[in-house]
Amino acid sequence: MAKTLKDKVVIAGIGKTPQGAIEGSTALGLGIEAFKNAVADAGINKNEVDGILTHPGTTSPEGATHYLRFAQAVGINPRYSHSLVMGGGSGGALVQSAVMAITHGLADYVACIFGDSARTGGTRFGGAMAGGNELSQGIWGMFGPHANSAMGARRHMALYGTTSEQLGHLAMNIRNNANLNPDAVMYDRKITVQDHQDSRYIVDPLHLLDCCLISDGGVCMILTSADRAKDLKQKPVYLSGIGQAYQAVSFENDEWWYLTHQRTALADAFAMAEATTDDIDVAQLYDNFTISVLFWLEHAGFVGRGEAGPFVGEDRTALGAELPVNTAGGNLSESYMEGWLHIYEGAVQMRGDGGPRQVDGAKLCLTTGRGLNLNTSNAIIMRNDD
Amino acid sequence: MADYTKPLPRIDDNTDADSRAFWDAAGEHRLVMQRCTQCGHIRWPIGPVCTQCLTEEFEWQTLSGRGELHSWVNFHQPFHPEWAKEAPYNVALVKLEEGPIFLSNMVECEDSELAVGAAVEVAWEDATEQISIPKFRLLQD
Ligand SMILES: [Zn+2]
Repeated sequence: MAKTLKDKVVIAGIGKTPQGAIEGSTALGLGIEAFKNAVADAGINKNEVDGILTHPGTTSPEGATHYLRFAQAVGINPRYSHSLVMGGGSGGALVQSAVMAITHGLADYVACIFGDSARTGGTRFGGAMAGGNELSQGIWGMFGPHANSAMGARRHMALYGTTSEQLGHLAMNIRNNANLNPDAVMYDRKITVQDHQDSRYIVDPLHLLDCCLISDGGVCMILTSADRAKDLKQKPVYLSGIGQAYQAVSFENDEWWYLTHQRTALADAFAMAEATTDDIDVAQLYDNFTISVLFWLEHAGFVGRGEAGPFVGEDRTALGAELPVNTAGGNLSESYMEGWLHIYEGAVQMRGDGGPRQVDGAKLCLTTGRGLNLNTSNAIIMRNDD
Repeated sequence: MADYTKPLPRIDDNTDADSRAFWDAAGEHRLVMQRCTQCGHIRWPIGPVCTQCLTEEFEWQTLSGRGELHSWVNFHQPFHPEWAKEAPYNVALVKLEEGPIFLSNMVECEDSELAVGAAVEVAWEDATEQISIPKFRLLQD
């Protein structure tokens, strides 16, 4: 495993917008607002940004040419720029592109940007499965993003005895974190395990409280070379390890539901960072549905195969427990920014800025992302200088 | 049969490969898939080349129609107006004897009878005069 990218690039600035239902918002406007906030946070002039990498929102009309529209809107002619559409895997993949570009001198300050008005902009996440063949046409009633995860949850339950109550503990602990985050959509709404059990089924075995939110919002991270770390306005957050991996073959792959590509992405990130699970103090694990967190825990090696049910069921992912997970509230309870806020919160924790939800003395954070019918994945290990 | 209102296969919309042979066979209650004439691999979904050796040439092989229940879910949330009328309804994945995993529905059973690994066999639903849709039932022994 090449270690040439380890600690070469830092997060210099982070920005976000209010989250939730923002009437009148647009994907472009939200991305710009997040970018402005990240530029201010980094303490740089926006014209120092020479890399623009964007993840078009579900409501961005430009599709894969979004980077040009965004750069035009903020008046920047970048040296390095593209858009990428990997759903919840986009943020991590763009951060990796930025790390490579900066390490090799292709750009100095790269902004990674996402904005979407999925909540008020009319996005429908309920379409049939992607792909131009019989599997995508609704012939067997397969619609929306829930069912693949529900299929995986069913198998995990059948093979390993995982229970819905265990998922309820996870949902509650992530919600407890959101209750400590004033910016979280669910900041003032507490839930119990019983609330989870009583919530209606969306796609059985997944209840409503197993599912992420749908949100408007924007997020931006500005990255630069670690050589500039000592001159930065903010405490630098080093990107120590990054991996990505994909699963394109599902129907000829008996292990599709277990998402084994995630194991590859995690292994590459840990190898690059020269770290083990024992070194991880806090984790931001992509939680489109509760069950996803269990797969991340097992593939990272925090627990063995099939063992994540009891781990989350015994509240071992709670703040103050051995592995705090999704300290800002995650996709489930903070906001559904397709994993971008997971990276943002990782930086917050590494700066020590988490306030009441800060993991004391945290030095290493694992963040993960995954998208497009579970098929794109990546993992980032970030650290501070402490 | 004229009142089947759920989505039917859009056979000529498949831009990846010709799926008419699949549905013609289904009309005769035969479940078929493409078998590579070079390496023998059976691929799914329908595609232009063998996923193992990239050979274009294939023959349509009639499958046994048997397999085991890989997983299933129950849709409660309405995503489609016609399917919603049947909610909650199951969607199942069947691991076929010949290898591929097939998306379908379990019929002629109660949800309480379903179990991962259960033996199943194809059961044809004649949706229209032309179209029969492969579904699965629990294999009684
Ligand atoms: Zn072949």
